[in-house]
Amino acid sequence: MTDDTQFPVKIEQPGQVAQGGNVFSRVFDELTAFCRSRSLFILHYCTGCGAIELPPAMTSRFDMERLGISPMVSPRQADILLITGYVSVKTLKRVMLTYEQMGSPKYVIGICSCTVNGGMYWQSYATAKKLNDYMPVDLYIAGCMPRPEAVITGLRQLMDNIAKGEANGWQDYYRRYDYYLGNQQRLFGETWQTPTDVIAEAKHYDLFGPETLGKHTELLLQHQKPLEALEMRLGLDAPEKVKS
Amino acid sequence: MRAENYEARNHPPSNEFEINFGPNHPGIEGNYALKVKVHGDEIVAARADGGYLHRGFEKLMEQRLWIQNIALVPRICVPDPAPMEVAYSMAVEQLCGLDVPVRAQWLRVLQLELSRVAAHLFTFGGHAATTGMYTPMFWGVADRDLLLDLFEELTGGRVYSIYNIPGGVRRDVPDGFLERLSTTLDYIDSRLPDYDNLLFTNQVFVTRAKGTGPITQAQALDWGVTGPNLRATGLAFDVRRDDPYLVYDELDFDIPTEQPGDAWARTLVRRNELLQSIRILRQIIDRLPGVAGPIRAPIPNPLAWRVPAGEAYVRIESSKGELGWYVVSDGSEKPHRVHVRGPSSMHAVQVLEHLVTGCRIEDVAQIMFSLDACPPEVDR
Ligand code: SF4
Repeated sequence: MTDDTQFPVKIEQPGQVAQGGNVFSRVFDELTAFCRSRSLFILHYCTGCGAIELPPAMTSRFDMERLGISPMVSPRQADILLITGYVSVKTLKRVMLTYEQMGSPKYVIGICSCTVNGGMYWQSYATAKKLNDYMPVDLYIAGCMPRPEAVITGLRQLMDNIAKGEANGWQDYYRRYDYYLGNQQRLFGETWQTPTDVIAEAKHYDLFGPETLGKHTELLLQHQKPLEALEMRLGLDAPEKVKS
Repeated sequence: MRAENYEARNHPPSNEFEINFGPNHPGIEGNYALKVKVHGDEIVAARADGGYLHRGFEKLMEQRLWIQNIALVPRICVPDPAPMEVAYSMAVEQLCGLDVPVRAQWLRVLQLELSRVAAHLFTFGGHAATTGMYTPMFWGVADRDLLLDLFEELTGGRVYSIYNIPGGVRRDVPDGFLERLSTTLDYIDSRLPDYDNLLFTNQVFVTRAKGTGPITQAQALDWGVTGPNLRATGLAFDVRRDDPYLVYDELDFDIPTEQPGDAWARTLVRRNELLQSIRILRQIIDRLPGVAGPIRAPIPNPLAWRVPAGEAYVRIESSKGELGWYVVSDGSEKPHRVHVRGPSSMHAVQVLEHLVTGCRIEDVAQIMFSLDACPPEVDR
């Protein structure tokens, strides 16, 4: 995969696949998509200055909750990862960990110009410039910073896209994992790995494709010592397994 | 997930656990983290872990023109951006020996005090939310929005106004602005008894905030604590009064202080400061129409502006504490070196680490909000 891949990549829709087949499954898919779009939980992760416009958007004046959108504290239960502004490299690592922890289907919204192309900090040594190099982004809301109205409009657009079955960026992460991993490795070093086994998940979701594996995932397998990442994080010595 | 990561393990030999408090945590202010070691739910050690918001401001500013930096500086502190622009502009004016017209000085004070009211409303809403009371937070954010509307009318921007330029301000007050400001101030004034009922006389808040995270006056002075956090220990120090800048020496206001220096006192000081800011704004409403004159001193072509060589240090009082700007020019089109002495880097690193040690884990968020530290300003 080359670096100048166009984004978003056109992906086959599950709804379209079902068109030839069972009517009930198609109706069921559409119903699921509709329900999904009406109950979205946003992960609370304020990465940059755009986060200051979220409290007004969430509370009484603009009131996101009337759209069925409310904040959620745990990535496991959240649907939307809202990247509110510039991400420094240190933050991006945490963002990647968080993104991979979220259950699919998951949606990423990049708020602020800084996520689109680096914005104000285009020449800063500390920030990552284009968010969609590292994870698939479903929607960008540009502005420095976007007003709460813009945030709400963006979220409504996302709701529409979900209902129509078009917000499928998360599938792209599994289909082209090698590309995203390569960009991450360029920033974090070749030994970069997260505790999530994305390849196994890709197989689980039936999204394993020709571009899931590549030279970057090979590096990952080469460097991967399955228990080490977690052990290092806990600061423990060699694992002592509990005798069962 | 990899199955092997989920195997049951022996516990570590002691009963102490290390927990990452943040950066992705609803109780932390902004993108900031604390690594805490807990024994049960008591914290035995804490380590501040910043840098998530680092953008390298001081380096970025060296690469941009003097005038371009105006757009950059408010981003240093997001909830209270106005003092950054004002202080930077004042530093450049000091280097060039520019005299700022009196009317521009009044307008700057207007902007600074509006920003202070907005920031304080936000903070005590946030402090209330960390003790489980969400109503003051909803109210605080909604009332702050009224001020943001005024900002938008005055400057064109809701949060980042970029209202100042070296030499003055960009525009004058629009027609009818002062009346609308006065109405908004009356409204916020009338809301304060409600805040008192909900927060400052609320038994839940009193019980949780009183005695939490105390600082003595001697410690505060040793650690470089400034602003409302210092005044909560009983010392009436305020740059606006003790080293007046702009037109603060013509204005009449008090410096509220409280005694014990705990979370309760810090938030109460902010509430009382809000009243004083409203008082200042009312004086501005009365006196601004009587101050005539230009709003901007002429400056040379800003795209080829060579600021004379020299150094300048400016300090002003932001809503978080004393804010200092040190700017060095080597006579070129760009600053040679810029350093920001932000109040939050003291509050959120050494003070916070010290205060959370020994307290319980549920008070960490409360202490952080009561210190009103601003993570983007810590990291810069
Ligand atoms: S686009 Fe502007 S408001 Fe948003 S993160 Fe960047 S600098 Fe901040």
